[in-house]
Amino acid sequence: MKNAYDVLFPPQTVTLANGHSVTKRASRMPVIFATVLILIFLSLRLTQFNVSILVKRGNQFFVVLAQIFQPDFSYAKYVWVPLFNTIQMSIVGAFAGGVLALPFSVVCSSNINTNKMVINICRLLLSILRTLPTLVLALIATLIFNLGTFAGTVAIAIFNFSMVSKMMYEHIETLDMGAYEAMEALGATRIRAFISAMMPQVMPVYLSTCLYSVETTVRSASVLGYVGAGGIGLVLGERLSLREYYHVGTIIFMLLGAVFVIETVSRYCRKKLS
Amino acid sequence: MIEFKDVSKVYPNGTRGLSHIDLTIDQGEFVGVIGRSGAGKSTLIRTINRMIDISEGSLTVDGTEVSSLQGKSLRRFRRGIGMIFQSFNLVTRATVANNVLAAKVPDLPFWRVLLGWFTKKDKLDALEALDKVGILDKAYTRADQLSGGQQQRVALARTLAQNPRVILADEPVASLDPIMAAQVMGDFKRINQNENITILINIHHVELALEYTDRIIGINGGEIVYDGPSSQVTKEILDRIYADTKEERKVTA
Amino acid sequence: MEDKINRMLEKQPQHWKTQLAVLIGIIALLGWSGSAIEFRGISARGPAMALGILNGLIHPDTEILFSLTVDGVPYLILETLAIAFLGTIIGTIIAAPLAFLTARNVTPKPVHYTMLVVVMLIRTFPSFIYGLMFIRITGPGAFAGVLTMSLSSVGMLTKRNAEVVEDIDRGVLESLGAAGCTGFQKIRYGILPQLYSNFVSNMIYRFDINMKNASVLGLVGAGGIGAPLIFNMNSYRWNAVGSLLIGLVVMVLLFEYISTRIRIKLARGF
Repeated sequence: MKNAYDVLFPPQTVTLANGHSVTKRASRMPVIFATVLILIFLSLRLTQFNVSILVKRGNQFFVVLAQIFQPDFSYAKYVWVPLFNTIQMSIVGAFAGGVLALPFSVVCSSNINTNKMVINICRLLLSILRTLPTLVLALIATLIFNLGTFAGTVAIAIFNFSMVSKMMYEHIETLDMGAYEAMEALGATRIRAFISAMMPQVMPVYLSTCLYSVETTVRSASVLGYVGAGGIGLVLGERLSLREYYHVGTIIFMLLGAVFVIETVSRYCRKKLS
Repeated sequence: MIEFKDVSKVYPNGTRGLSHIDLTIDQGEFVGVIGRSGAGKSTLIRTINRMIDISEGSLTVDGTEVSSLQGKSLRRFRRGIGMIFQSFNLVTRATVANNVLAAKVPDLPFWRVLLGWFTKKDKLDALEALDKVGILDKAYTRADQLSGGQQQRVALARTLAQNPRVILADEPVASLDPIMAAQVMGDFKRINQNENITILINIHHVELALEYTDRIIGINGGEIVYDGPSSQVTKEILDRIYADTKEERKVTA
Repeated sequence: MEDKINRMLEKQPQHWKTQLAVLIGIIALLGWSGSAIEFRGISARGPAMALGILNGLIHPDTEILFSLTVDGVPYLILETLAIAFLGTIIGTIIAAPLAFLTARNVTPKPVHYTMLVVVMLIRTFPSFIYGLMFIRITGPGAFAGVLTMSLSSVGMLTKRNAEVVEDIDRGVLESLGAAGCTGFQKIRYGILPQLYSNFVSNMIYRFDINMKNASVLGLVGAGGIGAPLIFNMNSYRWNAVGSLLIGLVVMVLLFEYISTRIRIKLARGF
């Protein structure tokens, strides 16, 4: 395959004593390396990366960090409610998103839905929804639904919907269609054929995916509060700007505890499913 | 009664799957369809329940023109025809009983299908069907824990639960060892005689076909080259069925 | 014969107890969770907002969409990409030694478990906290964004790279040793090639995520397309919002496509 690179840096031919020869294309590495270095240099300029500032004021970071690591647990009582709010939003959002994702992923599966146009439109919609960061969705939601936990839940639901749908339709397309064919042969509609023949295959993966989405959501949901979409984010941001780092520490550690519990439970359930 | 009148199937790329088929099969017959791979055996069988559409001619089952069926009428039509597949096509994770109950799905209200809640009568029907094929005791075992022959029997029970008038079997014993294959063929014969269900088997194992079926249809190159009692099939007839004709080569190309 | 069948029916497995328990559990969980969600109704201006956004998407502000100035969408996209790019690279550099410290086949058990806790700790800090902390050092702007992205990438990169290290095929090392290689040569020719393409693959995976995260960093003032987006949203300048959103979506889709292609090439070899 001849391309521009080969013209600039011609391949080397090695000829052995017995007349056999082999051609080796010139390594692309130097060009790739150079390109990456140039990109790094440009990015450093673009972002005004300044090492001297880091050196001069870097210790500030560790001062703050040290205070965060000395949490003041008397503050904990103010943290419970917002923290639970974040968790509750994640659960409801993940549930709503997941429930809608299952039928939608069937529509997006080319082995069940034969209408190519519908499939392409739906997949495009999913792609666009996936590119929007949850925070942007949350902002839009707060404008439409007012500040508060509902907006955050909507944002989480939409994000989970797009994530679970994608993972599910990719999985459905790899499934064995034998039993589905048998259902069609005995006179079932496509939906009923899917429910009877494919759901048993799909269920473990679906539940596992939903649990995984709850895990990832709880982590990123903490930021939603910062824009007023409910949860711990608001309190966290507040404490930071007031420089109450000991309280920030409290929140972080309680968040850590919550995330740890949720991840452990989720991992246990997912193991049982497979 | 199944009736083919000058039926042909031409694929988009020009190959002729079936050529001018004229055939009548009465209720209660046990017919074996034999021939080379790609000769059209599978095509012939699958046109009957319209898994494959015909291009020309008329195909009627009990008076209904198959190509006129659409959507709901097609589904209702298919409920009366059972199909057995080479790879069994069971839901491997489900129990044997639940697999047989799948036959009841088209008739149930949607919510029952969604939740998997079958009526007591349905469950009894399923168990009866399992009993007819002799594996009642495995009713609550997971399907993938059975041997090949047992799984095919479950598939057979599933079709019996439909109360079909016709059973189509596409290479039902190709994946089974000789002993299991003989057992399953025996099941087909028994069901055919006891329930008077028309059975049409697509089979490449000639001895089994000759031993168990009443009538043999030999297909070569999409055409019927022999149609008669299995007892009268001679070596010359078999040679004719399995001959490598010019047209055959075009079909299998 | 009827009897035999009826007896079999009685033997059917009784799932309803577990099903009921699970159902009650789910309803309880949802009920508790749902109590926190207050539906304050659609804001009085809600529908107007939604329409505004849709309108902005259909009629984007083409001036900023195509302008090449600092306020233009292309520049903002480049800035966001630069933040994500540098953040990923620095994050990988920091994560590399940490990954080795976390890999089960390389470090002693206590170190492994300590590292797991450390990584979990790093990952629990929401990235906007890092953002606010770094802004204290560098002031608002893209520089803070780079530092934030670096630190928030470390967690995932360490975990994934540790898995790569744990999956190293020791057979290669064995055959190199049998051919007479020194320790250093074994690392250079036996281990590095195995790690290289997977590390890069993980880097690209994280870059995609960082791209999306970098766009929202602007929220806290750490540069990128996020800041003007928030600003315009709060000022209800829908046309500008439309342009920015379009720019964002195009950027992410484009780079996701490119990254997938690169990752496939990495897996198959150049």
